[in-house]
Amino acid sequence: MREVIQRGAPIPLILFLTSVVWTFLGNDLPQTLLLAFLGSTLFYFLFYVIEKNMGAYVLRRFLEAGFTIFVIATMTFLLLRVIPGGPFDEEKALPPAVKANIEAKYGLDDPLWKQYANYMGGLLQGDLGESYKYVGRPITEIIGSALPNSIQLGVYALLVAYLLGLPLGVIAASRHGTWVDSAMMVTAISGVSLPSFLVAPLFVILFSFTLNWLEPALWMGPSYYILPMVVLGIRPAAGIARLTRASVLEVIQSDFIRTAKSKGLSERNILFKHVLRNSLIPVLSLAGPMIAGILTGSFIIELIFAIPGLAKHMVQSVTNRDYPLVLGATLLFAFLLVLANLISDLIIAMIDPRVKFS
Amino acid sequence: MPKFLHLILGAVLASLLFSGCTKKSGLDYGLKVEETLRINLQQEPPSLDWHKSSDTTSAMIEYNIMDGLTDYNLNDPELGLKPALAESWTSSNNSKTWTFTLRKDVKWTDGKPFEAQHVIDGWKRILNPETASIYAYFLFTVKNAEKFNKGEIKDFSKVGVSINDKGQLVVELEAPQSYFPSLLTHHATYPIRLDVVEKFGTQWTDPENIQTLGAYKLKIWDHDKAIVLERNDDYYGDKAKIKYVYGYMINEFSTAMGLFESGRLDFQDSIPANDIQRMKSEPTFRTSPLLGTYYYGFNARKKPFNDVLVRKAFVHAVDRSQITTLLGGDMSPLKAWVPKGMFGYEETIGLDFDPEKAKKLLKEAGYSDVSKFPRVVLGFNSNENHQRVAENYQAQIKKNLGISVEIQSEEWKVYLDRLRNDTPDIYRLGWLADYPDPDNFLNLMTKASENNHTGWSNSKFDELIQRGSSVADKEERRSIYIRAQRLLTEEDVPVNPIYSMVAHFLVSDRVKDFPNNSLSKIELKGVSFK
Repeated sequence: MREVIQRGAPIPLILFLTSVVWTFLGNDLPQTLLLAFLGSTLFYFLFYVIEKNMGAYVLRRFLEAGFTIFVIATMTFLLLRVIPGGPFDEEKALPPAVKANIEAKYGLDDPLWKQYANYMGGLLQGDLGESYKYVGRPITEIIGSALPNSIQLGVYALLVAYLLGLPLGVIAASRHGTWVDSAMMVTAISGVSLPSFLVAPLFVILFSFTLNWLEPALWMGPSYYILPMVVLGIRPAAGIARLTRASVLEVIQSDFIRTAKSKGLSERNILFKHVLRNSLIPVLSLAGPMIAGILTGSFIIELIFAIPGLAKHMVQSVTNRDYPLVLGATLLFAFLLVLANLISDLIIAMIDPRVKFS
Repeated sequence: MPKFLHLILGAVLASLLFSGCTKKSGLDYGLKVEETLRINLQQEPPSLDWHKSSDTTSAMIEYNIMDGLTDYNLNDPELGLKPALAESWTSSNNSKTWTFTLRKDVKWTDGKPFEAQHVIDGWKRILNPETASIYAYFLFTVKNAEKFNKGEIKDFSKVGVSINDKGQLVVELEAPQSYFPSLLTHHATYPIRLDVVEKFGTQWTDPENIQTLGAYKLKIWDHDKAIVLERNDDYYGDKAKIKYVYGYMINEFSTAMGLFESGRLDFQDSIPANDIQRMKSEPTFRTSPLLGTYYYGFNARKKPFNDVLVRKAFVHAVDRSQITTLLGGDMSPLKAWVPKGMFGYEETIGLDFDPEKAKKLLKEAGYSDVSKFPRVVLGFNSNENHQRVAENYQAQIKKNLGISVEIQSEEWKVYLDRLRNDTPDIYRLGWLADYPDPDNFLNLMTKASENNHTGWSNSKFDELIQRGSSVADKEERRSIYIRAQRLLTEEDVPVNPIYSMVAHFLVSDRVKDFPNNSLSKIELKGVSFK
């Protein structure tokens, strides 16, 4: 039975990649596919947690995550009230009666502790309140319509990063010391050093306005997706390439590879079976911080390419002092970051037998 | 498993390659470029509920899908009114009672006829304290409206709006107001279908629920992505010429510019100062005056600007044309308070640039030694243009008066908070007309105004403004407003007007008759393709 389950382990990955390809072609993600992916991921997650006896560890991590989010919610709530200027302070000052009606409607005339208690109470029930700016729209709905676009962009960029970075790093390491190696590392370093607000317009000018291959902005289908995802993926790709190279070089020099070589295994066999698997560990452990980088890096990309994602809400909600939206967006980001770190830790735990849990 | 993976990775790569040659039109929802006007709204309209929205993007959409009782005649240089849902109106009782005769041939998009009751429903809704509408105060001149909004009166029938036996709408005001009909152009006063609002709650503005009666109707609202308007073929007036309007929500100017210059956009509003010079020679570049005043205010509560001589000295010391040249647009220097192009504007009003006189006035004020002059702070909200204006102002004051002005910029809402609680010695603000009447500008500086941050007031001025709003005779009003402006900008000088604003925008070659008026009203029904 266990054999069968373990053999099915790539199912979530397959579902994931199918979803990626499907949405990339400009289609909406079918609910069933999403549910199947989430369901199978959860199943394998639980399977490994039980099999590797990590229950206590995972529980502890979840409790820590919950606490982190609670602290962030409290801090954000309080900091927002400290910043001068309220949500309904406009250039044309409102008559006091009108302002009083608005404050009463949103409970802004309650004492601060009560507002806080109300917000936290709502949060526990998954209610993030209504936006002040987008009158009558629940925060969950605003985030719900923006998040898929941001996730889409992030996932594409992540794939670009790995698809580009891993081969580059492996090739550079296997040709260690040659001009191929140097050329690739120079490319990687320029990739890390070039800011995306420079790369983005350059790519737009080249691929949209000069060559006319791709769309310069917006988010409506494959020809729109490529530029932003590549621009966003380039930096992490460069990072991955460098790390992969270093890691592969280190593994190549280790004892068990020498043993494998002395046993007469082919170069190719050694590289793919022994070296890669072991050198992937540090690269995968980078996934957590890298997802964080992509999430925050996507802000500027979303603005430059006019992608209807979370970035503009994140930025504009603060300018508007739209308290519920600032809180909602901040908490979502906090949640995603905590989740990304947790997942990358768990992935390492699954593939690296040296990692122990307490 | 690796086989599987290879297959999928292959598919990803293949689609990467393929996708370069898929759809190119830039229009979603199956619209054709030939019958769609593509405009950039720059942001998601915060709300299409015309009783709750308070921003220009929402107002622009609402203006095209709805009509008020009256409308501006945008072809009239003085922006007079023309009939809309009301075919005519009369006033009696010295502009205190207004009677509107409504059109009988107007239908909502679901075919129901428009009635006077829909107007009353709308006013009741916006004045209801629970609606918490920002623009409720637009109707505060209506009898008992403010009391109803404050919750002091619960019975709406006591508010001065009713239907008479001829089916006309009768409005009674608290005090005479000669420009009352022009308030009815504003979206806050539009009629509403209460049955729809009650049925769908906050979702009533979704395209499948909303009922409107304007030249366009809401077809699609894909939040944060696009808005599509479709011609309303049952519209009572001249039908729209272009079938669809596609509104993008592109906030980043350079992105929008790229789309415009590559022929993917037909209209782009607001061009940053840095790009104006470059764009000016393009045939797509348009300029229109705007009814708006850009000004500096003096904090007259404390030294040194509690002294009118110092205020006058500062105004005389600044050459406004330097600032307008610096900004590169077509804005014109403004000495008076009411902006150019508006009724009541008069070129001769205000203090001229005269550095010699400025120095003399400063001496008279007791500052013959400028090193004894107190530290002066000029505050403004962070913005590239405001920064440039402030730096130039700073340099001119230094050169002409020998006084160092410290400039400080702050984020918008922080700045607003500071204006209200700790006004800088000199502060920047602007005012754009809510309605094209001088009252809208001069009321700003009355004692009761929440927007007068100078701390200055003059009962004579307040009296003039009061009288100006009640007088019906046009020439008499004009002379009252000229008198008030002289008091404001020549005698007491709590403000230093700098320039009359202009709007810069881009309209693509294929578009004809794009609106160009000083209220920035974008009425799309008259727009067509060449």
